[in-house]
Amino acid sequence: MNLEDDLRRALRREPAPPDFAARVLANTRVLPFWRRPIALPLAAILTVTALVPSAIYQYHRQQRAFEARDQLIAALSITRTQLQQAKEKLRETTRQKR
Amino acid sequence: MVLDFAQVVADNQSLVFSLALRFLRDREGAEELAQDVFLQLFRKLREIESPAHATWWLRRAICHRCIDEARKRRLRPRIGLEAVPEPAGESPDADPLLNERLRRLIGELPENARIVVLLRYQEDLDPSDIAGMLNMPVSTVKSHLHRSLAVLRGRLVKQEICR
Repeated sequence: MNLEDDLRRALRREPAPPDFAARVLANTRVLPFWRRPIALPLAAILTVTALVPSAIYQYHRQQRAFEARDQLIAALSITRTQLQQAKEKLRETTRQKR
Repeated sequence: MVLDFAQVVADNQSLVFSLALRFLRDREGAEELAQDVFLQLFRKLREIESPAHATWWLRRAICHRCIDEARKRRLRPRIGLEAVPEPAGESPDADPLLNERLRRLIGELPENARIVVLLRYQEDLDPSDIAGMLNMPVSTVKSHLHRSLAVLRGRLVKQEICR
């Protein structure tokens, strides 16, 4: 008795049931969308598409914020100059009165 | 490039089903598990590079699922339908009784030894390929084979004596 040969004969592949392949394919059609191979790439595209306008909007908002900051700085610097000029005049006036 | 899934199923259905059937000795359970493994593959189809890769993946997946299922059944025994003896489609020189006895005896081996025997004698894999597939040292694979053959021989002889 050659056991290994006997084992090979006993363990010849058993064919799958005749409708097995059809049932597998039918089951892939009822898979929820997110379980299908296309789901991940599609989700990535949708995410990028959703994020781009938001990124553009944020960029413009930031630009407007920078402009506002620059205007404020300019306004403050003008005010400081005017204040200094007023101070100088006041000092002069006080000196003259003495 | 995504593989043609229908072709992958056609090429590998008997490999997957047969491994599960020989391991579980339960036709209904084997069909269920085999279906599941193909659906698992379908979800990961983009990661499969070639038909050979698909075959390797399926073999590995069904082995691991069979072992997991056997462990679950030990904790929660279920009543499954026993594998039906082979229909009269076997080759004329086959001994159907011996074949059935061997399959039954293989079903009694411990899980790891059982899957090693199946991969060796049903799938004709080398010990090194089996080791890679099951994440097992080659020496362990060889030890399983050696011991399993000894056990099978011993039980066959015992059954002959008892007849």
